[in-house]
Amino acid sequence: MKSTVKQMLKSPFAVVSLLILSWFVVALLLWPNINLLFETFFPAGEFSGRAVERILSSERAMRSLWNSLLLALALAVSTNVVGVFIVLVTKYFHIRGSRILWLGYATTLVYGGIVVAAAYRFIYGSDGIVTEALLQILPGMDPDWFQGFFAVLVVMTFATTTNHLLFLSSAIAKVDQQTIEAAKNMGAGDWTILRRVVLPTVKPMIFAITILSFLTGLGALSAPIVLGGRDFQTIAPMILSFASSPHSRDLAALMALVLGMATIAVLVFLTRMEAGGTYFSLSKVATPLDKQRISNPVANLAVHAGAYALFLIYIAPPVLIVLYSFVDSYSIETNAFAVANMSWENYQRVLTQPNALRPFLVSITYSALASAIVGVGLLVVVRILVKYRNGVSTTFEYLLHVPWLLPGAMIALGLILSFDTSSPLLFNNALSGTPVILLVAYVIIKIPFTLRLMKAAFASINHSLEEAAVLMGAGNWTIFRRILLPAVLPVAAAVFGLNFISLVDDYDTTVFLAHPLYQPLGPVIHQNTQSTTDLNARANTFVYTVLIMVISTAVMWLVYGRTTTQRRRRPRGQREAPSGSEHVPSVARLVHQPVPGAQATGYAPAAAAAPAGAEPRS
Amino acid sequence: MIRYENVGVQFGDFTAIPDLSLEVAKGEFFTLLGPSGCGKTTALRTLAGFVTPTRGDVYVDNKRVTHLPSDKRQVGMVFQNYALFPSMNVWENIAFGLKLRKHNRSERQKLVADVARRVDLTEEQLEKNPAELSGGQQQRVAIARALVLQPKILLLDEPLSNLDAKLRHQLRAQLKELQSEFGITTVYVTHDQDEALTMSDRIAVFNRGRVEQVGAPREIYDSSATEFVCTFIGAATSLSAELTPVLGLRPGLSSYLRLEKALLETEGSPLPVGYARFTGTVLAQAYHGTHTIYTVEVLGTELKILQREDGAARPEPGQTVEVGIHPRHVLSYAISDDHGQDAAAHAVRTTSAGA
Repeated sequence: MKSTVKQMLKSPFAVVSLLILSWFVVALLLWPNINLLFETFFPAGEFSGRAVERILSSERAMRSLWNSLLLALALAVSTNVVGVFIVLVTKYFHIRGSRILWLGYATTLVYGGIVVAAAYRFIYGSDGIVTEALLQILPGMDPDWFQGFFAVLVVMTFATTTNHLLFLSSAIAKVDQQTIEAAKNMGAGDWTILRRVVLPTVKPMIFAITILSFLTGLGALSAPIVLGGRDFQTIAPMILSFASSPHSRDLAALMALVLGMATIAVLVFLTRMEAGGTYFSLSKVATPLDKQRISNPVANLAVHAGAYALFLIYIAPPVLIVLYSFVDSYSIETNAFAVANMSWENYQRVLTQPNALRPFLVSITYSALASAIVGVGLLVVVRILVKYRNGVSTTFEYLLHVPWLLPGAMIALGLILSFDTSSPLLFNNALSGTPVILLVAYVIIKIPFTLRLMKAAFASINHSLEEAAVLMGAGNWTIFRRILLPAVLPVAAAVFGLNFISLVDDYDTTVFLAHPLYQPLGPVIHQNTQSTTDLNARANTFVYTVLIMVISTAVMWLVYGRTTTQRRRRPRGQREAPSGSEHVPSVARLVHQPVPGAQATGYAPAAAAAPAGAEPRS
Repeated sequence: MIRYENVGVQFGDFTAIPDLSLEVAKGEFFTLLGPSGCGKTTALRTLAGFVTPTRGDVYVDNKRVTHLPSDKRQVGMVFQNYALFPSMNVWENIAFGLKLRKHNRSERQKLVADVARRVDLTEEQLEKNPAELSGGQQQRVAIARALVLQPKILLLDEPLSNLDAKLRHQLRAQLKELQSEFGITTVYVTHDQDEALTMSDRIAVFNRGRVEQVGAPREIYDSSATEFVCTFIGAATSLSAELTPVLGLRPGLSSYLRLEKALLETEGSPLPVGYARFTGTVLAQAYHGTHTIYTVEVLGTELKILQREDGAARPEPGQTVEVGIHPRHVLSYAISDDHGQDAAAHAVRTTSAGA
């Protein structure tokens, strides 16, 4: 439905909303990032290449660039190897206990980023639970064995297979069983079917996920910071360390620009590549995929063994952390776990002692506020953008996607540098150093993801409903309140939940912007992996981790769980029965459905785009 | 050529086919017809090797194939949605099976070109992606892909259900033509009785996993063996208990008359020999262009009568008319509770849908 700008401007509501939106886009989305360019290349009002020279002559900086590239390339490979394997054993092959396996692999859906990095450090780090146990057996081994490139790669690999679990799983599930049967009928074996029919069909999705993983590796912050050690630092940690000193801020800005440019380049490349590569499903009546048995007994055994070995690797950190969250700090310190020592003491302390509880409350408040603001704001904006389709609304839509293209570090740095003194754009207020700046950043990074899902929700409403209401004399407000809002509310609630859980343990943006007095969980967990000043630091972190996992699991279950459990299959012989229409707009459908192209551009290095669980948190 | 011997198929608690015995002759176009969930597709998939029967055996050319893998049975299959591989172009789709059978490149070129010519696919279409082809072209690719392996039997699983009505009619003829040209034994699954009647040499009508009748289309339609077949194939009026004794039929049966069998005459005109004459009142008419269906009240029966629109004068609702019924045309069945309910449901559906 096209409509002119004139029509749009007749509605006072639309005019006011668009004015506010324009201010937001100019002041907070565009200006900080453009300003970053100025700060880098025109520090004193005229062009200077000094920042470039300084970067080029800094060995640390150059090495970090190289390390980031190396990590991105390695991660693109390793995460596919593991990710494709876990999707095949849970969704494609007939593997005993595949539901349990799935639960194990899905643990990285409910804890990510800094939490996952911290968890691995607590388990495998120099004084970690597993390392100390190993030292008993092999006294000569290096206690720092889990550090550097290898450790970072391992942790990030497991953390990013969430993309496979969400997107590749749904792509595999959509492979038409009839094509597999057709191949069998022509004499193809298990391996041929997988290699020639199934994998080529989901190739575009694998490609998109590969790009996601590459970008995740490129912008990695928490994993290198926690596990990289002195020898393996990448761009984002380098930006963080440069940003902390006023003398090297221009370097931080330049490196953020480099990261941003690289990200945009990769995304452009992706869009180009994808233009001709998407396979549209040919069938209107696809038959659901049946799990395939592996006919070769040796291969079957090997795949089972591999699946369960991975399962153990996935569940070891969360299981150990849950167990250790119940024992006292001394036992944690000495790795002396005993059932007799288990108690609720740690939970009691975290939930009652102001010091320990504070970061948790700060995180919850920030996340809830940001999710609510972005949710309500976009509810209004998307309604206007969907209702009036014209050049102006399309432009706004594109502009709101800007945070997708930029790494979180760059957005954060842009805000700090642009609003460190009172600015006319903010009606003569300053942002830097206030608790508000983090809230603003949270809202910004959550815009693209929220926008996409809200737009899909509005688009899925039957257009005739609105027309019918107009014919019956309903006004704009009534239509919105009585017809549109109830229809999009489930999606809005789900998006709120997903935004909330992804912000609650955010580190990458938080670490740049958090107010010293209002430290959220992310930086606190990071500090706890470093210092040993507070005896209870570890125990507290374990409790935070468990609480985050519980909240995330609850939200994930509400959003995804209920729809997936309803997908029970009809027996084969009954497939002629008319299939019931399943056109319930739920966020699970919307989130699972993104076509590879859209989904890939739907990625944000700043962890803004993909659904919470799928976010590149590392 | 094909023989099902006491085949039973069970899916968990659900019995898809209790006991099926059926024979298909060489070169025949054989149709499995029935409503949704009647077991016809399961029967086809058992033959294709995708379903293993719980008991009984399937024979092809007198060779037991019950436990042979699908590709060793020499059956080619065209799937409901054609199941073309979206990641391969048309040529690669057709050549896929040949490659698996280790035919070399030049053989593949030749065989694909051969079969493509026979199903009317151009060189240019062979280079395309299946998604770029129309529904009809996709169907020809699917058929070519099945036939290029020179199977003994071609299985077609509702291949037309995916298409719009007009194309469906066109392809019906094309499909039948291809089949007679290749002369291949064909088993065709459909729920569309019209399709079954126009295309098949013989039809097996399925209901709840059982075969109700096997026969040529005319036999199935004019001498339906069971009440289910009678009401599922075509439309028929259920005759009232008041009407049947007048026709000299045994009471206590459920009796049906096909719409085109009753004669509608103006008062006083003569009827052909053997017809019983009734007086009735026109209740309603439904105009279909080529014909009109009248609803005429005769002795408590709302008789549906199909009249060709040949330009003759037509009665109006409310008018009194004469109706001729030949007792030989009436299809009668013993009343069984089980079938009665089922048939009644179908009678309502088919009659209300018109001819």
